[in-house]
Order: sequence, then C-alpha cells, then structure tokens
Amino acid sequence: MPTDPLIVGSLCFAGASAVLILWFLIFRPQLTRATKIVLLFGIGVLPISTATTGNYAGFEATKARRFCGSCHVMTPYAQDSGDPASTTLAARHGRNAMFGEENCYACHADYGMFGTVKTKLGGLRHVYLYVTEYRNTPLAEARETIHIRTPFKNATCMHCHSTQNPDWNAVKEHASLVDRVRDGSVSCASEGCHGPAHPFSKRPWGAP
Amino acid sequence: MKLLYASAVLTLIALALMVWSLLVPTPLPVMLAMTAGQAIGTCAFAAYGYVVVRDLLRVWRAKRDSR
Repeated sequence: MPTDPLIVGSLCFAGASAVLILWFLIFRPQLTRATKIVLLFGIGVLPISTATTGNYAGFEATKARRFCGSCHVMTPYAQDSGDPASTTLAARHGRNAMFGEENCYACHADYGMFGTVKTKLGGLRHVYLYVTEYRNTPLAEARETIHIRTPFKNATCMHCHSTQNPDWNAVKEHASLVDRVRDGSVSCASEGCHGPAHPFSKRPWGAP
Repeated sequence: MKLLYASAVLTLIALALMVWSLLVPTPLPVMLAMTAGQAIGTCAFAAYGYVVVRDLLRVWRAKRDSR
C-alpha cells in the first residue's frame, strides 16, 4: 500500500470522484442545480486534483531506481546499483543517503535551466527505443550491446563534487588533473579513476 | 443527458488510468496516465461544460421568452 501522502491524497480524490460519478450513473437524477454541482466535483474538481497530484507523484516516480529497472534491459544495472556488497561507482552512490533510491536519476539527469525537460525528453526516447527495438532483446544480448548514448559528462559529477573543495584537491590525482577534469578531457568515470560506473559499462556509441 | 453519461464514463476511465499509474509506477502506466488519461479526462470535462452551458442557455432563453 502506498504511504506517500501525495499518492494517498491522489487516491482519495480519485475515490471520491468515482463515488460521485457512480451515484450519478446508478441513480440517474434529473439535471438540477444540485446535480450539476455534484458533477462539477465528480467530473471536474476532483479528477483535476487527482491529475495534479498524480502528475507530481508520477514525475517523482520516474526518478526511482525501480522505475529505471522496470525495463528488463536495465535490470542488471538496477540490481548492481542496489547491491549493498557491490563496489561499483553506481552502487556506492546508491548507498548515499542524499539520493540512494534515486541514484540513477541523480547521475544521469541533465542539470541547468532546462535540465529536467531534457532529461524527461531523453527518457521518452528511451521508452520509444525500448518499445521499438529492445523489448524482445534477450538480457545477455542487451548487456553486451546497450551503450550509453553520449559520453558521461563530468559536469554531472561536479554538480556535487565541485572540484573546489580543499579535501578534493588534496588527492594528488585530482590536483594534477583538475583542469582536464573540468574541461571534460578526462572522465571521472574512466577506468583507473572512479569507473567504470557499472559492471557492464561500455564505451559510448561512436567513441574511439 | 446521453453526453453527460458518456462524460461520466470517460471520467471513470481517466481515473482508472491515473490510479493505475499511482499503484504501478512503471513507464507504461505513468505515460498512459499523463497522456491518454489526461486527454480523456479533459474531453470528459469539456463535454460536461458543454452540457451545463447548453442547459443554462436553455433556461435563460425560456425565462426571456416567458417575459
């Protein structure tokens, strides 16, 4: 049972709306002023409230790891990410209390003014590709063939790890590479640094 | 009234899609709720508005003609 107040509220709005509509459909009253007001709530106010809270809950749900892992090709990534014994970059971020269950989104989202919109559009692209190309792909094949579309941006890491912190700069590898990290010519998630992020990580499409 | 009954049934369908997305937050239900669910709900509300406005106009005309 959902415990999120937003989801519970949305379900209550939907339930109340359904009760009013069923009353109308079953008893078929005359179209009096009272009936119109009841239906204004049943067809208008309460469903709009359901949609508003439901949309917000839906957008929040798209950040959850189980949402990302619900397409079978992403299952191994989500499983590793939630594995308390795993030492991959994704799993270590999954254990971070700041965003634990939302670690896929935290690392793969675009940031900036239109970051959320870009991220959601990218998500729609993923769904389209899944439905048209990868829905019936065996997991073993998907694990070998699915690549990240574009190289992972260091800017995403620097959203939290600003590279300004003295502790960060005290690491000699960081200090020697700080300019190349900032301009993106050395990836934080490269092998030998902090990557690969997942056990099945591969080079992005088109990368040398 | 038929349009109003249709509107009520459409609202129930839209609500069902929205509730499905809340209980099973996976890509298909969430996308269906945010697209088809809301389109159906909007159409239902528009139909309700049309019926109510038409009924109010009918009453207003009847009052005007009786004067």
